[in-house]
Amino acid sequence: MSTLLRVIKFAFQHFFRNIWLSLVTVSMLTLTLLALNILLSLNLATDAAIKNIESRVDISVTFKTEAVESDAKNTAIYLQSFSEVRDVQIITPDEALEAFKIKHANNPIVLASIEEVGENPFGYELIIQANSTDNYPMILEALDNPSFRDQIEDKDFASHEAVLNKISSVANQVRFFGLILVILFLTIAVLIVFNTVRVAIFVHREEISIMRLVGATGWFIRTPFLIEALIFSFLAVLISGAFMIFAATVLDPVFASYFDSGSKLKDFFIGQGYWVYGSEFVGAALVCLFSTAVAMRKYLRV
Amino acid sequence: MIRLKNVSKKYSPSTMALQNVSLHIRPGEFVSIVGQSGTGKTTLAKLLFAEELPSRGEVIIGDWDISKIQAEDVPLLRRQIGVVFQDFKLLTKKTVSENIAFALEVSGVGSRRIQEIVPQVLKIVNLHDCGNRYPRQLSGGEQQRVAIARALAHKPKIIVADEPTGNLDTINAHEIINLLKKINEFGTTVVLVTHNREVVNHLRRRVVTLHDGQIISDEEEGRYRL
Repeated sequence: MSTLLRVIKFAFQHFFRNIWLSLVTVSMLTLTLLALNILLSLNLATDAAIKNIESRVDISVTFKTEAVESDAKNTAIYLQSFSEVRDVQIITPDEALEAFKIKHANNPIVLASIEEVGENPFGYELIIQANSTDNYPMILEALDNPSFRDQIEDKDFASHEAVLNKISSVANQVRFFGLILVILFLTIAVLIVFNTVRVAIFVHREEISIMRLVGATGWFIRTPFLIEALIFSFLAVLISGAFMIFAATVLDPVFASYFDSGSKLKDFFIGQGYWVYGSEFVGAALVCLFSTAVAMRKYLRV
Repeated sequence: MIRLKNVSKKYSPSTMALQNVSLHIRPGEFVSIVGQSGTGKTTLAKLLFAEELPSRGEVIIGDWDISKIQAEDVPLLRRQIGVVFQDFKLLTKKTVSENIAFALEVSGVGSRRIQEIVPQVLKIVNLHDCGNRYPRQLSGGEQQRVAIARALAHKPKIIVADEPTGNLDTINAHEIINLLKKINEFGTTVVLVTHNREVVNHLRRRVVTLHDGQIISDEEEGRYRL
């Protein structure tokens, strides 16, 4: 036990004797983790944006005015039999007229023209929502069923496909450049950790040579460097985590106002914090340990 | 205790530090290894604490065969051999006591035991009132005595001293040699590597003379003859 405590003590001595180099190393690792966290946030935001738009995609089926309620109901029952269909809403001609009047309440010309027509110009309408945007072509095809095809006047598919594609494209580009940034920061971090350990070995060369002479084991000499790598990782995760918790707390209401489904920033960076920061610590520690091991293999003669 | 059988050490095809050296040192002996610079004295000393491995031959220290020693066994061997160098090899940012404690700490000795051992070895080297001083606050002779105290901390069976008087004036050099003699009288085998004629002649102990990596003389009560 006392040996382990001494090894930990030596690790902290290594850290503090090269404090500036240690701070640079922690800063670089922190930047890498921040870049990764920002990338994760962007992922959450684009997912929310896509879901938000997808929830607005539907097919609006307008029946001819001579179609009766049973035509609309039979079509709705037929469509609901498909597992791909999430919801079918029937809008009666009266409801359609009411909605039209409300929509154009400030436009007397439009309202007057409706009065002029004399009778309700709207037929039954179905609003169909699928489980996934991929299901809409199949639903449109199903509506071509001869049993009710002739009763249908129009099918309006507001796919928002262009917007979805644009969001996906921008998100992919952001992810791509974000990933390059993470890889770039990671490479710099690996090199900086390597250099820090190299300098630490140089600074402690006298101490290390004495340790060897008086019978310290290889494990005792090497382990402080590995623990120092864990200290770097822990501090980097702590700083980047604190920043992300603060950012998530501040930005969550802003994000939530943009998306109907609400923001998941707080839930992800605070609610699932153990998992997120735990994984980041494991990842950062593995990178630091690898870099330290390479530097020790090259420069530390035990 | 220490046995070298036909030991050769080659650093490169053209650099032969030791050639067919055979030597037997009995427990409790005080042996001086002498010779001019570059004759292989330090290489021989390094073989004794496994800092170097022989290119050929056998080096036996107690139960250890250095020529076949496993890397994980080297620290255990070094805890049984105290080593003293010309440049003292003290940590300047640690006090005298901390320097000695450091040697014990890195070997896994418990804190309570360290607190017992440090004053004991400081008393042996007559520095019991210097525990809180830093090496820079001590004279060269005193620093070497701290290095000897550190070497004694593990209660080694062998002390290897490589030019321990090289950086010291005559008075301090004699003090260090007298200290090594005192340690030897307690039963510790001492191997002294030196090219200090006066020290060797004053000792009147066994002298092994090296020349061009070979033993050219081995006398029980020898003198410096080069």
